[in-house]
Amino acid sequence: MFKTQFRVLYRQFLFRIVDLELLSTQGETSKLLGQFASLLVFLGVIFSFAVWGLTGDDMPAQARLIASWGMEHFLIATTMLIVGLFAVLSWDSLLPDQRDVLVLAPLPVRASTMFLAKVAAIATGLAITVAVFNLLPGFPAPLAFAAPNSGLIGLPRSFAAYWITIFAAGAFILCCVLGLQGLAAQVLPRRQFLRVSSFLQIAAFCLFVSVYFLQPSLASPEALSAAHNQQWLACLPSYWFLGLFQQLNGSMHPALAPLAIRAWKGLAIAGSGTALVYSLSYFRVLGRIAEEPDIVPGLHRLRWLPRLGGELETAIGQFSIRTLLRSRKHRLILAFYLGIGLAFTILFVGLLVNLQQRGVASANNLWRHPNAGLLVSSVVMMFFGVLGARVGFAMPLDLTANWIFRVTPVGGVTECLQANRRALLVLSVVPIWTAWAVILLWLWPRWPAVGHLAVLAILGIVAAEVTLAGFRKIPFTCSYLPGKSNLHLTFWFCALAFGLLVDQGAVLELRALQHPASYAMMIAILLVAAGLARKRTAVLTKSEALEFEDQPPPAVMVLGLHQG
Amino acid sequence: MLELRNVCKRFPAVTAVDNVSFAARPGEVTGYLGPNGSGKSTTLKMITGLIGMTSGEILFDGTHIHRDLLNYKRRFGYVPEEPHLYAHLTGLEYLVMVGQLRGLPCQRTAERIDGLLQLLGLHGSRHSPLSAYSKGMRQKVLLSAALLHNPDLILLDEPFSGLDVASALVIRNLLKEMVKRGKVVLLSSHELETVERVCTRVVILHRAKVVADDSIERLRTLMALPTLEEIFSQLAVEQDPVSTSREIVDLILA
Repeated sequence: MFKTQFRVLYRQFLFRIVDLELLSTQGETSKLLGQFASLLVFLGVIFSFAVWGLTGDDMPAQARLIASWGMEHFLIATTMLIVGLFAVLSWDSLLPDQRDVLVLAPLPVRASTMFLAKVAAIATGLAITVAVFNLLPGFPAPLAFAAPNSGLIGLPRSFAAYWITIFAAGAFILCCVLGLQGLAAQVLPRRQFLRVSSFLQIAAFCLFVSVYFLQPSLASPEALSAAHNQQWLACLPSYWFLGLFQQLNGSMHPALAPLAIRAWKGLAIAGSGTALVYSLSYFRVLGRIAEEPDIVPGLHRLRWLPRLGGELETAIGQFSIRTLLRSRKHRLILAFYLGIGLAFTILFVGLLVNLQQRGVASANNLWRHPNAGLLVSSVVMMFFGVLGARVGFAMPLDLTANWIFRVTPVGGVTECLQANRRALLVLSVVPIWTAWAVILLWLWPRWPAVGHLAVLAILGIVAAEVTLAGFRKIPFTCSYLPGKSNLHLTFWFCALAFGLLVDQGAVLELRALQHPASYAMMIAILLVAAGLARKRTAVLTKSEALEFEDQPPPAVMVLGLHQG
Repeated sequence: MLELRNVCKRFPAVTAVDNVSFAARPGEVTGYLGPNGSGKSTTLKMITGLIGMTSGEILFDGTHIHRDLLNYKRRFGYVPEEPHLYAHLTGLEYLVMVGQLRGLPCQRTAERIDGLLQLLGLHGSRHSPLSAYSKGMRQKVLLSAALLHNPDLILLDEPFSGLDVASALVIRNLLKEMVKRGKVVLLSSHELETVERVCTRVVILHRAKVVADDSIERLRTLMALPTLEEIFSQLAVEQDPVSTSREIVDLILA
């Protein structure tokens, strides 16, 4: 009886870790999961090439040591980031929800069976995520990282050390997330917990992304021993697990010994603390969940929203704003992209601070005058903000409720495009532009600040137009069909092209800001680009009917050569 | 007048609606009855344009609905079978959004929404998210959204589901009032007692086909049966309820 119940619940919980309600009727769960897996495998392929590069003997011993430590740390940190993202994305399924309680409470199922099935499902999700990413680097890594002169036993020991460390690092992060959620659920009343939980989720997400991108590179004996780095090392768990790997691998360096001890302590505290807090909170939530609604009432002050043009534009615009602000899933998507943008901004600001510290430029010159760092940061932030909002638009919310848009006289794609355009501008371009206006007008003299803000506004409009091309939908109302975007190739290609473009653009803009004629020319070119982008969007989006079901790409591509 | 002519809907494995023809006239509430899976909701979805027909014609006031679907959508109000609403919006926000989507003037819509919420007893919870509403409250929101633009055609799929007795009485009388003012009302429901009280005419569907289309009075006379329930049982119920229930009990006890 217990085994059957456990098996059934385990399967249910495991497949509910991913939100399947957004899928198109033609979408397959396996395809969505396959897309995530292929993205991880793709990253793994790239990293495995880098690891293979360390297996040769053509490197001096010291350089080889630093390169190996750097690569080991990189793999551990990336695994921790991926597990962190997995934990954040499955945030809602870590504790029981109202549906679980309403369905399972009347059945003769013990709460402990549900708990064990949930823990087993989460552990399986963790194991699959870690294994899929490390599948390819996991084979050359033991070869590259085996302790020198370790003999026959060295290779299997290195293999075991690698996988134990990787799983331990992943478990540590997952335990931290579970513990944090459990603690909040234990301490706060359920209503307060639901409100705080969504902020915790975004905070955890931002923390993982920013720590990954911004942590200093300390993987060398000198940096690890330096007194001024000890504060960093105390709060960067990825380095603790580097120490753990070296200990298990039998290649322990004295500089890494305290880190290995910290890893063991961290694992013990996170593991035992989470076991206690999570189990207590699970049973507490289970007992109280049926009595309270899952969604807390909206805040009173957020009721009013401005009109965004005609009735249709206002309806779609306000619907989009409310959905993005109130739906946790969509907020998370936006936070993901804004987090990347913010990480780049901090990176560029960090470079400026570094220049200042090295005395290359005085503080006054550096911050009070236009510089490429802030120009690039603002454009990157704008780009990721627009991209995040646009990706959020494509992810549906409550598909069964979209009938209201289908039975009301909403009109065609052209009418909706205008509404979508305004919604995207209000949700991404306007707030990001306003934030940068405050920063730049405070830091820079009036002219270059105003000059760059004009450029930023036009670039924001261009980005919005480009991302809306071919979007024949009302935001949040169309099902999602995975596998169309070819993300693992498109993203990296676009990121590379965009990086080069922004870098060169900042140099040009810095020059143009000093010459009015060049600046006028630049603005004219950007305005023409915005006009062309708008026209292109109108042409590519032209269609008679709005889409509410995402369609697969046609098997045969029509060239349309017969059209005039 | 709403008119269906030889309407068919075939899905790959099943014919959901087979050659259905009937008319719903202004000034009368037309009941649309049938057992589960007989094709009632599919027909209503075709009438709203939510799904297409395989063949046949649907006309409203003599015009094919797909000839000018946008204009046709301005003229009907629809209450679907399931109360699917955007749970993150409040009741007021949802109704305002529907008014905007229908292009209604701002001021008049606000007054109408306020009035509807007052009359249906939802005014106190208008700022609560729809996720916190009970099924009956959601049903009232759906009904308000369907009536907001003063439609000529009202399509109701199980509108009494989840409503308390007082609210059901209000809706029942509301339908009578609406038809008195020349509206066309098509009501699909399993509550035969309510249908008998509200509808002047019924269309009964069985296995995707129309098996009766007449006034209740005439059906009573023709079939020599006193109630709509008995008429329905004779036309559309294949199982003998007494023997089936006995078999169920036997099965459980075995």
